[in-house]
Parts: sequence; C-alpha cells; structure tokens
Amino acid sequence: MDTQTREDLLKLFQSKLNQAMRLYLETCSRCGTCTTACHVYASTGQVKHIAAYRHEIVRRIYKKYFKDRWNPAAALGEPKALTEMALEELYEAAYSCTGCRRCMVYCPHGIDTQMLMSIAKFLLVGAGTEPEILSMLADSSIEKGKSFDLFKEGFLTAIKNLEAQVVEKWKGEAGQTPIPIDQEGADLLYVALAGAHSIIPAAAIFNAAKENWTLSFFEAVNFGAFVGDPTRTKLILDRIINEALRLKVKEVCICECGTAFRVMKQMSGKQPFKVSSITEVHARYLREGRIKLDKNKFKDPVTYHDPCQIARNGGVIEEPRFILQHLTNDFREMIDDVRYNWCCGGGGGLVALGEDTLDFRMKSAKVKVEQVQKTGARILATACENCHTQLSNLNDHYQMGMNVQFLSSMIAEALVS
Amino acid sequence: MPDQVRHDGKQNNQILSSVFSLVKGKRAEEVLVQTITYIVLVPMVYLAFLIFVVGFICRVVKIWRAPKQPTTLQIFPEKRPKWLWALHDSFLLPTVRRHNPVLWFFLMIFHVALLLLIIGHLELFKGFTFFQFWEHEIFLGKGFVGLTLIIALLYLLFRRFASPTRELSIPEDYYLLILIFLTVLFGSQMDWARRWYGYAEMSPGDYQTYLTSLLFFRPELPPAVYQSGHSFMLVLHVFFANLFIMFFPFSKIMHSFFTIPMNKLRRG
Repeated sequence: MDTQTREDLLKLFQSKLNQAMRLYLETCSRCGTCTTACHVYASTGQVKHIAAYRHEIVRRIYKKYFKDRWNPAAALGEPKALTEMALEELYEAAYSCTGCRRCMVYCPHGIDTQMLMSIAKFLLVGAGTEPEILSMLADSSIEKGKSFDLFKEGFLTAIKNLEAQVVEKWKGEAGQTPIPIDQEGADLLYVALAGAHSIIPAAAIFNAAKENWTLSFFEAVNFGAFVGDPTRTKLILDRIINEALRLKVKEVCICECGTAFRVMKQMSGKQPFKVSSITEVHARYLREGRIKLDKNKFKDPVTYHDPCQIARNGGVIEEPRFILQHLTNDFREMIDDVRYNWCCGGGGGLVALGEDTLDFRMKSAKVKVEQVQKTGARILATACENCHTQLSNLNDHYQMGMNVQFLSSMIAEALVS
Repeated sequence: MPDQVRHDGKQNNQILSSVFSLVKGKRAEEVLVQTITYIVLVPMVYLAFLIFVVGFICRVVKIWRAPKQPTTLQIFPEKRPKWLWALHDSFLLPTVRRHNPVLWFFLMIFHVALLLLIIGHLELFKGFTFFQFWEHEIFLGKGFVGLTLIIALLYLLFRRFASPTRELSIPEDYYLLILIFLTVLFGSQMDWARRWYGYAEMSPGDYQTYLTSLLFFRPELPPAVYQSGHSFMLVLHVFFANLFIMFFPFSKIMHSFFTIPMNKLRRG
C-alpha cells in the first residue's frame, strides 16, 4: 500500500473518532466476558469471532497511528501497520459480524462492537475492497433519489399491478385507491421494500384500519449502512426524509426491515414527523380496535424471532408480543429474554451478499437453529426482511420443517372485517 | 583503603562522598543503597505523580474534545432512572456475574480489596480521618485484605494462560497484572511482618510521617523507614507503585474512569 493511500485511509479512520468511539477504542480490559456472546463463536468455536478479538484488529491500527510512539500502553499493545494484509483481516472481522450488538449486553464496560466494526467497513470502502454488490446497491439507491422522474412511470405501473392483487384478496378493505402514492397531506408515509410481499399485506391492513396513508417512492433498505459508508447512508436516508417533508406527513412508518427502521428512527434527527416501525403501527391499530384478527387462523404453535435492530437496538419489544396475543393461543417465547436473543446470522449486509455468504451464514447460526427448535413451535414469525430470508435459508439447510412468516403477512391473513 | 573514607570525618556530606566511595567496598554499597532508597522514596514519587496528572489530563481532554456521538447507542429494553442503572452496571458487574460467575467473584473481591487498601493509604496522610467515623486500625482487615488481593491477582493472571482468554490477551494485560502483583506483594509483606510475625520496626506512624511530609513538599524519611531491616520492602513497594502510577493514565486501567460514561451510553 502506498503512503498516499494509507494517509487517505487514516483520514477516514480519524473521521470516525468521536467521544464514544474513542472510549470504545481505549477501554477494553480483555476480560473475555464477551467470549460466549457472539453467535458465530458459539456456533463455530473459532477464537477470531470473539468480540474482543474483533475489537483488537481495529484497535491495533488505532494504537499504531493515533497513539504516541513512546506511549507504553501502545508499545505493549501490539500495534499494527495498515497494510493490504491488515485490510484483509479487517474485512474478515467486519463481514463476519452481523452488528447484532449481543456482545454489548455482555461487556462490563458496554463496548459497542458494531461501532468498532464500522471503522473497519469504512476503511474497506476507502480502499475500494468492500463487497462490490453492497456498494452497487447503495449507489443505485442514491441514483434513484437523484433522477427520480426516470423511475416514476415504471414504479407507478408496477404498483397498479399490485393493486389488483390487493383488491382480489381483501375486497372489503380496499377503498378506491388500494395503494395511494404521492398523497400530500396523508397522515402516514409507508416506506416499503421493493417486493410485493412488503406492500400487498401492508396495504390491506392500512385500508382495513382506514388509515390515511401513502406509499413512498423509495425502498426503505439502506445499503449505505450495510456497507458502512456514512455519506451514502445519509444520502439514502435523506430521500425518504425529503419525501416525508414534501408530503407533510405526521408519521413515517418503516416496513419490516431492521436496518431501515434503526437508521430512520435514530439518525433522522429532529423532524416534524414521528418514526414508527410497522409492527408498532399494527399494535396501535389492534389496541384502538381499528382492526380485528381471527385468533384461529393459525393453529400451529408460534414463536417470534426479535430482529436485533428492531428489538435490542430499536426498542420495539412489547408490540409484536401484543399482536401475537391476538393471533394465536399458543405463543412460545424463546429463551432467554430479548436482550440475549441470538442473531439470525443474516445482519450487517450478509443476507444481501446472497450465495457468497450462504455457507458462513448457515454454519454461524447453529445456535439460532437450536434456540428456535427448543420452543417446539411450528410457525416462526419475524419482522425483518433479512431475518426472514436468513431464517428461511436455515429452515431449508437444517430441515427444520418450520413455517417462516412475516408478522405483517400473518396479520393480513387473519384480518376479520 | 576503605578505612580512610570512614575516618576522614566528612560522613555528613553523604551525597557527594557517595560518588567517590562507589568503588570503595562495603561502605560504598551502603551509600549506594541509601541513595537508591532516597531516589525511589522521594524524587521518583513526585515524578510518578507528575506523569500521572499530566497523562490523565491529556487523555481525558483528548476524548472530551472529540465530537459527540450524534445517535443513541442504547440497548433495549430500557430501565429508569438510566443513570442509576449505569452505576449499577459499573459497580456490580451484573453481566459478568451472569455469564462468568467465577470471574465475577474474583473481580469483585479484587476491586473491593483494592478499594480498602486505597482507603488504608489515604489514612496514611495525617489528618485524613474521614473514614475514622467508624474507629479502626489503619489498614483494615488485619492483613487479610492484601492476601485476598494477591489470590485474586493470581487467578486473573493465570486465567490468561488458558484459551480462549489467552488469545485475547496482549502484553499490556500481563505487564499490568504483574506490576500490581509485585506492588501488592511487597506492600502486604510489611503489613504481614508487623501483624503476623510481630516484627514491628516500621509502624503506620512512620509511614504517616513519610507520606505526609511528601504531601507538604518537606520530604522526611524517619530512620525506621530508611534503615530498618524491612526498609527494602517499602522501597520495592514504592518502586513498583511508582511504575504503576506512571503507567496508569496510558493504560486500560483508565477503565476505572471511563466505564461509567460508557455504561451510561449503553443505558441511553
């Protein structure tokens, strides 16, 4: 690596050094309490997947370039030069971590591994060695925001086709416009994913609840966050913020996508609208009696997988359980409580990387499979696209014989008019 | 001719004569030991505290001046009041207790014993009688606090030799543990000599005279501290303590100050 490249990368490193990051970089006592926290370590037993080990990979570069050379702690901390090989190590650490932050619960100091891995991901972006697919997806999201008119026609046509499906299945609930788009003055802006499964059931429920809603032109998922590029994360986020401001909505509702929800909820700053997950909105409809559900629609025992970014990191915990009380008589909670829920193994962009990470995802999520099987449930509900894909993959790979469901799809199925 | 030195009548001017007598046998050795004793017990202590204070301020200021984290880093579900739970996490280590009860036991006795010893040392400053609201001998625990600490330290050190903690450990971890171990070992020996073996040449009163004189910048070494058979223990104790204090602000030991704000970040 030439000097100029290294200097540029170290500038990126420097830009990540805020108060919290510095505390995380300087405080680990390597007590090893986090050893059993990571699902990858718990499933594979490889030391390199222990949180503290991951931290040190970033921390050693920090000690080399951001600590004085005479500093005894830096000298005794095995500082490491930023080289091509170091980048490879950073890649392995960052893209075997799903950013679920289960280890943060274990740590007596409360160190956030996801934050430290964000340095690794940002350096990879700077060096151009990040996963290409994630970068391309992020760029195309941004492009869509810029040259929006080009996409508009195609999008509207596609939605028209979906409307037919909504009307067909939920005749009673669909009004005149089953999927409203671009409605200024709507109360709620629904930000979905590119995919019928994310739009059709949601539309049915909004219409059943007589919500004054409108569908966003943009997909919720933030590939900028997956690839760990703060600038692109912000650009992708801003498309939705601007749309919400333009339409003067009171609430932005994020579809079943963990990253999208957490980014929108925690990074959008002070805005005239509030940010909710679709699970929160559905729970509200139930509480207010705006929708009613048939409790006998699903007869098999149900368990619920808490998506890390929505539950442990986003705070939406009671709502899905409240909904499930209305969906089934046989809800089975996973052990332990939600803070200790195992990650599905698909976060941090791993599912978006598809086949490339499939083998790793299957091996690293063995503990998740065991946790699910212990409940004895037949239906595995969740409220996150990535989790759903990963859990479906696990279901096939381990022949679990489960029925993996989106919570919103279950609600739509069980709607009673 | 060593005798010449002894008879030339200039014994009082020790520092100067020590330079000349370095090569001159027994007497020279004595002077050398006394010189080292003096350096460790007086100038090195001041140097250690200077480095500690400057290093501490630099490190804290560097972090404090960095931009604030713009988003929350909270873990849910939340419990209120958040600051109280942050203190709970920092002082009682609930997550360690849950996931590694053996480590938790040794960490707790380690930190509690350390706290009791710090109180003991604070009471070596004459007039620091705050903790005497409950009357006790200086250095609580009749010597067992130091013993507890040593056992805990040995556990913390040897657990690092076993996988997977071994792979997580870096040289800093071992150096710090060994440094604390040596400091506590020699410190405790003075305590044990006095309490368990009735060897009371050095008393807390002597330490008080010495440490208080340092505080008021009028260094004074009572003969018991300087010349008794056990003064080497004090010298070694203070020497390793000095090294530790100098290392402190640059090392992971700063977790003693950083853990509370970090736990507050996690509690939101």
